[in-house]
Amino acid sequence: MKFLFYLILILLLVPVQTTLLPHLSVWDIKPDLGLVAAALIGLFTGELEGLLVGLTIGWILNLFSAGELWLSLLTNGGVGLLAGFLGRQVSQVTAFSLGGVLVLVSLVSGLLAAINFKGFDVSQMWWMVESIVFPQACLDGLVGAGFYWLLSRRFDLTRLRAD
Amino acid sequence: MWMAYSSSPYGTRRIALACFALLLVAIFLFPNQIQGLLQYLGGPVGYVVRIPLEAIASIDAGIADRWEQYVALQGVREENQQLRKEIEWLRGQHSQLRESAAATERLTTLLRFKEQALPTMVAAQVIGRDATNRYRTIILNKGESDGIKPDMGVVTPAGVVGRVVKTTGASSVVLLLTDPNNAIAGLIQRTRDEGIVEGTQQGLAQLKYIPLLSTLRDGDRVVTSGLVGDFPRGLMIGTITHIEKQEGALFQSAELIPEVDVGRVEEVLVIQTSYGQASKAGSGANLIEKSSP
Repeated sequence: MKFLFYLILILLLVPVQTTLLPHLSVWDIKPDLGLVAAALIGLFTGELEGLLVGLTIGWILNLFSAGELWLSLLTNGGVGLLAGFLGRQVSQVTAFSLGGVLVLVSLVSGLLAAINFKGFDVSQMWWMVESIVFPQACLDGLVGAGFYWLLSRRFDLTRLRAD
Repeated sequence: MWMAYSSSPYGTRRIALACFALLLVAIFLFPNQIQGLLQYLGGPVGYVVRIPLEAIASIDAGIADRWEQYVALQGVREENQQLRKEIEWLRGQHSQLRESAAATERLTTLLRFKEQALPTMVAAQVIGRDATNRYRTIILNKGESDGIKPDMGVVTPAGVVGRVVKTTGASSVVLLLTDPNNAIAGLIQRTRDEGIVEGTQQGLAQLKYIPLLSTLRDGDRVVTSGLVGDFPRGLMIGTITHIEKQEGALFQSAELIPEVDVGRVEEVLVIQTSYGQASKAGSGANLIEKSSP
């Protein structure tokens, strides 16, 4: 049942991220739903499942992007793992704290991508950070926090995490 | 946020950490092999993902179509009048061009040039945009099974769109002309000076490495040079809008407005074989569209 849920989630994530989100982008910046999904799954199911689902999401989304595969695997797998740890170690995760973690992870991932771009000088890299990396990190954090808040309104998340 | 007693079994945590560490080591020790393996495994995955992707893309296209037909009709009358004027002007140009085409044909026969085969192309539909914000790419509904491979050129009848950078069994990713990571060999049509066309951060393009003595000016058209990559010579890239000449620099550069509005492109043609390759393979003399999108 869980496998089916993950399969549907991953299959739907690609068209939503590549086809629908460009219409809903804010100043041409769209959130990384893969990152948000990996974080939420890691938070509720633990490190191993978060890692595996994160890696799968990273791999599949990377098939539909010109980005580097290692970065996608590292970011999505890493956030799943990190969220798993967070879920186990912290008794009361709030939408705010989850959003903060997502902002940080997204920033690190964006900075790594900017450094990885060949032939970029400092001014170009700075332009990328202030116009793409930073706004996207904020958006990722906001969307992640929003999803968590919506889920917390609907379900008893502390019990869900304990289960 | 409160710290709590960890309820996770240590075994699971260790496995997760070991998996992640192992993956990191493997990626950094064998980057090409891992990339190749995952790309290979991604081939069949592309077929599965294509189903919801195409379904949602067609719904999206349907909604966009309705929007364009009924809602966004404001100002169409003015646009229509403007277009009529343009048609009149283009008709005049067309008759002149027909004259020069006939003259070119006669001269070609006279010079006994070898007849060159035109490129073979595959038509494809745009079904999505890049999954991240860091690259300007489009996703096509044709992939390896349709004969599309990385580095193939992508065009529309108006001009160059970009080049294929990644493929799965049923889809491919095209890096657009306006992406700063893209580089296409270009030629200024009037002066015949060559350079490299790269994307800019603002979503335009620039022609770099133009010789200092070039007499280029605003409004000059830039086409593919056909010397490097999979683009045949003479495909329209864009029009020069601004020339940059720095003191002490070895080359000058120019800003271009791409001929194709890559943000709105919906159908494209992927060049499978260029002029030279087509003639070697003995393909037909006409532009061959293998299939419709």
